[in-house]
Formats: sequence, structure tokens, C-alpha cells
Amino acid sequence: MRPENYEAQRQPPSHEYELNIGPNHPGIEGNYAFKLRLHGDTVLEGKADAGYLHRGFEKLMEGRLWIQNLAITPRICVPDPVPMEVSYVLAVEELCGLEVPERAQWLRVLQLELSRIAAHLFTFGGHAATTGMYSTMFWGMADRDLVLDLFEELTGGRVYHIYNIPGGVRRDIPDGFLDRVKRTLDYLESRLPDYDNLLFTNQVFVQRAKGVGTMSREQALEWGVTGPNLRATGLKFDVRRDDPYLVYEDLEFEIPSEEAGDAWARTLVRRKELVESIRIARQVVAALPKIRGTIRCPIPNPLAWSVPAGSAYTRVESSKGELAWYVVSNGGERPYRTHVRGPSQMHAVQVLEKLSVGARLEDIAQTMFSLDACPPEVDR
Amino acid sequence: MTEVTKTPAAGDALPVKTGKRTNPLANVFDELVRFAQSRSLFMLHYCTGCGAIELPPAMTSRFDMERLGIQPMVSPRQADILLVTGYVSVKTLKRVILTYEQMNSPKYVIGICSCTVNGGMYWQSYATAKKLNDYMPVDIYIAGCMPRPEAVIAGLRGLIEDIRRGTADTWKDYYRRYDHYLGNQQRLFGEDWQTPTDVIAEARHYGLFGPGTLGERTALLERHQKPLEALEMKLDIPELMARRSGLGSKGRTEVK
Repeated sequence: MRPENYEAQRQPPSHEYELNIGPNHPGIEGNYAFKLRLHGDTVLEGKADAGYLHRGFEKLMEGRLWIQNLAITPRICVPDPVPMEVSYVLAVEELCGLEVPERAQWLRVLQLELSRIAAHLFTFGGHAATTGMYSTMFWGMADRDLVLDLFEELTGGRVYHIYNIPGGVRRDIPDGFLDRVKRTLDYLESRLPDYDNLLFTNQVFVQRAKGVGTMSREQALEWGVTGPNLRATGLKFDVRRDDPYLVYEDLEFEIPSEEAGDAWARTLVRRKELVESIRIARQVVAALPKIRGTIRCPIPNPLAWSVPAGSAYTRVESSKGELAWYVVSNGGERPYRTHVRGPSQMHAVQVLEKLSVGARLEDIAQTMFSLDACPPEVDR
Repeated sequence: MTEVTKTPAAGDALPVKTGKRTNPLANVFDELVRFAQSRSLFMLHYCTGCGAIELPPAMTSRFDMERLGIQPMVSPRQADILLVTGYVSVKTLKRVILTYEQMNSPKYVIGICSCTVNGGMYWQSYATAKKLNDYMPVDIYIAGCMPRPEAVIAGLRGLIEDIRRGTADTWKDYYRRYDHYLGNQQRLFGEDWQTPTDVIAEARHYGLFGPGTLGERTALLERHQKPLEALEMKLDIPELMARRSGLGSKGRTEVK
């Protein structure tokens, strides 16, 4: 009921204000800040503020031996450290021309896929928490810990493993390890219907996530988006299939994709990837007992190891997207120059800035988590 | 701040309460208060580095921090514990110090990961601060790269025990030796480093004015002090309209 003398007036936009999210904020992924200009709760402009986690990796690595650098490579991306190690190790092997034994390659694939499972479970939890559904976070953490237990048994470390060295892996699997991997994979697969009920088909989540942070395939390609975020726009590009490394050629797996390109599609792609990762890990578990032989080829004394001059660029598919190392050697005991091409650099800075324009304030955290950006990798 | 340019006379500082009080009832009361303090701790975890990834397992169902009475808290003013999880880059350290000074006493700092102890993995990095202890008093360090959730729980249990015994009082050191801490901060951030909190006035308020509270470094605070900008409500409608239609770089904020 309007009063009789009521007449709507166009008000000038005088409610514009600024809001800082982060660097210490529950809605932001890690130590990272985002500055917003808002009108009401509509975002007019978003500006990423990175640099809180800068350690200067590329400079640090120039001052350390080739083998010492192994210790700091996984620390670039904390939730998913294995692809970092593997791609650095692949680059050094390419420079030295080392022939890696087949068993080591299968072990690396097992590790990469387990790491992907752990990282996706972590992301689901974080993403669901931004929409107020904390149960998924508790479940995801508990299930991720089972994978971390496997890592601990295999490598000795829960989060950082440093299991790969140039030429192979550090040690062989313990007795009965494959049975325990199989049991954990079975358990994780049996949990998926529960996750569907809790999150993926839950209308509370679906209604929040659909249509949030939408990008088209052309935009994604233009902005340098890779990984599940790119596949959520309908383009089936995966380094594991299109530029195979290790033994991915011998494995059977699908490249899941979605068409919508929004937060919901990105989550669905990750959920399907979880199934594919379980499938790959099962194949590795079945194949490993048949592949005998050494787990690493002989390498020179690592403390006085001069890698031949040259440069190498190796890329792997991490849970966040395409990850690559560019390593240059001038024939010395230390790298001449190293560079990381990380997926989160694009996702967290330029893509997030562009997707936030016109979005609503409550969707900003969700957009960031659905892009699965990893701030330590943005800053290095 | 202008009134405390010289070292205060002996009568200025209130006597600091240490040890047992004479009234037996007061002792019982103190015990009770300390027990209550140690069993309801709100924790502000500033995810400064990698160590933050072992906190979700420590908080959630498997290791369950909440059974110790510890819960995460999002605002520094209501938090008791400041968890500094991992390496602190110089840009982060400024924010950590601001956060620390905003917290109400008694406050406790826990340094997780080797990087807060001695620089750890990044001992040669140009971008990180090496020892957290140089910039703020730390109650407990949890070493390791990274420490397991069990280690985090053990560290927190140690802190709870310290609080119950009444020995977790390093926060007082920040007031008593403010000149030392401020000097280290200025060495890193430059001489004109300022925080909005008036630590010297707080030291007087808490009766923790020590011989090291004032010094040559705190004298610099005053020299570089900028006058507080008065908040002006300005409503320039044509300009706002132009900004709204432009949406360009005009209204962008500078990133420090």
C-alpha cells in the first residue's frame, strides 16, 4: 500500500563504499586480500591485493643445489604439493637425460592422483563453508586425513612429502600398502552418495552456486584459465591426455566437463574428477605388483652435481590447473634461473577481478573458492 | 602521548601484582579465574603461511580442538590467542603487529612452524621476517615443518597449563620493553612506522610501565606522528555520478 502522495524518486548513487576482505578473513582462501568498491551489495570493482605470502622462491632456488631445491618446491602450493615436486623433478630429468624406471613412474602417478583427491576434498569443504554449510568441511577434512595417512606411510610426511628425486622416488612401497590404498579408495567411493546428498544435490547449495561467477569459453581461454575451471566451460583440455607425461598414456580415464562455466559447474567437474582419480589410482594399484625393477636410476653425487646446460619446460596437471616449471641451467651446481607457471596466478588475480564486477557481495568468497585459487602459489 | 616524553617518576607506575596475595580468599579467587581463563580460549588464527593447512584437521572431528575449550574467533578484539601459522613476510608482519596490538590483554601468541622460530626453510629469503620473537613476545613455539596436528594440540595444552599456573604473561613484556620491540619493527619497516594503538598509554593503564617502555625509538614515534585526519562527510553528487558512469580507474584505491 503506497501513500497517496508517494512518488518514487531517482536517487543519485550516494551509497558507494569500499570494503576490504582479507588478508585475515574467514571468507578468503589463505593470506590474501581483495578490495571491493560496492554500491549496496553489488560489486562495482574488485581489486586483488596479493604479496602477503611472497617468499621469493625463484631467487631462493638460484642459491641452492639442485637436490636442495627439492625441499622447497612443494611449499609453493600447500594444499596440493605433489605436482610441484613432480614437475620440477621432470624438468631436471629432462636436462640430465635421465631414464626413469617404470616402477617409479607408476608410483608418481599414484601419488599425483592421491594428492588430487586430497586437494579436491579440501576444496569442497572450503567452498561449502562459504555458503554456510560447515558439515561438508568436517566430512571433507576427515576423509582427506585418510589420504594423508597413506602419504605418511609411503613418504613419512603428511603434507609435504619430498618423495620424488631426480631419477626416481626415494623408497619403495611398504608391505601391504596397496591393500590399504584399495581400502581407502573403496571407502571414499562409498562416501560419494553421502556427499551428493549433503552438497552436490542439496538445493541450498545448488541455488547458491548456480549462475555465480560465470565465464564463457572464449573468456576463459583469453584469461589463461586452465584445469577444472576451463573444463567447466565445456573445453575438454587436460595435460594428462593432451600432452601425456609419466605413464598417463597407458591409463584409461575420462576428461569430465560441464557447459555452464559457473561455480556450480566447476564444483561438478571436481566431483567427477574425484571419481576419475579413484579410477586411475585403482589401475595403478592393480598394475604395480606386475611391474618389477628398481625405483630409481643411478645419479651422480647429489652434493656435487652439475646439470648440463640447457633449459626445460615441463608441465603437469595439478588439481588447480596446468602447472609448469621452466628451469634453465648453465652447467653449474645450482639452477641459473627457475620460473613457475602456476594456475592460481591467473585464477586468483585477473579472473577473480573480472568475475567480481557486477557480482553480489556474498558471492565473492564463493567465487574465489570455486576457482580453487591457492594464494601461496600466487605470491610464491 | 605528549605527556610521557620523559621517564616517569617511581610513583607513576602502579605496582605489578606478582605472586600470591595475602588474603587466602583472594588466592582462591585468582585460581578460579585462571582456571576459567585457561578453559575458554578464543583463537584468532592468522594464516600467515603453510602451517594453516594443518589447522583444519586439528579443529575438525579427528583431533578436535574444541574439547580443550578452544574455538576459532574471527575478530581480534574478542580473541585470546593469536596463532601465527608459518613464515611472516614483511607485508604480513605489519598486519600481524596491528592485529596483535588490537587484541585485549591478557593475550597469548603461538608461533607455529619453524619459520617463526628462526626463518626455517626461508632463512635466506629477502622477503620474510626471520624471528617472530623480535617483533612481539611469543608464548609458545611449535616447531616442525610442518607440525602435525598432534603437535599443535600438545602446544595448546602447554599454553593452557601455563595460563592455569599464571606463568603465561609474555604479553606484559610488550609493554615493559616496548622500545625494544618498536626498534626492531622500525628497523624493518622504516623509522616512520606507526600503529594506531597507543601502546605507551596502555602500558600506563595496565600499570606495566617498565624501564624499557620509553627510549630513543619511542621518541621517533612522536617525531613522525601525523595528525589524525578529520573525517569529513562529503557528498559531491556530480562527482559520484561521473564515477559511477565511468567505473574506470578514477576511484581505484592504491595498493600498498
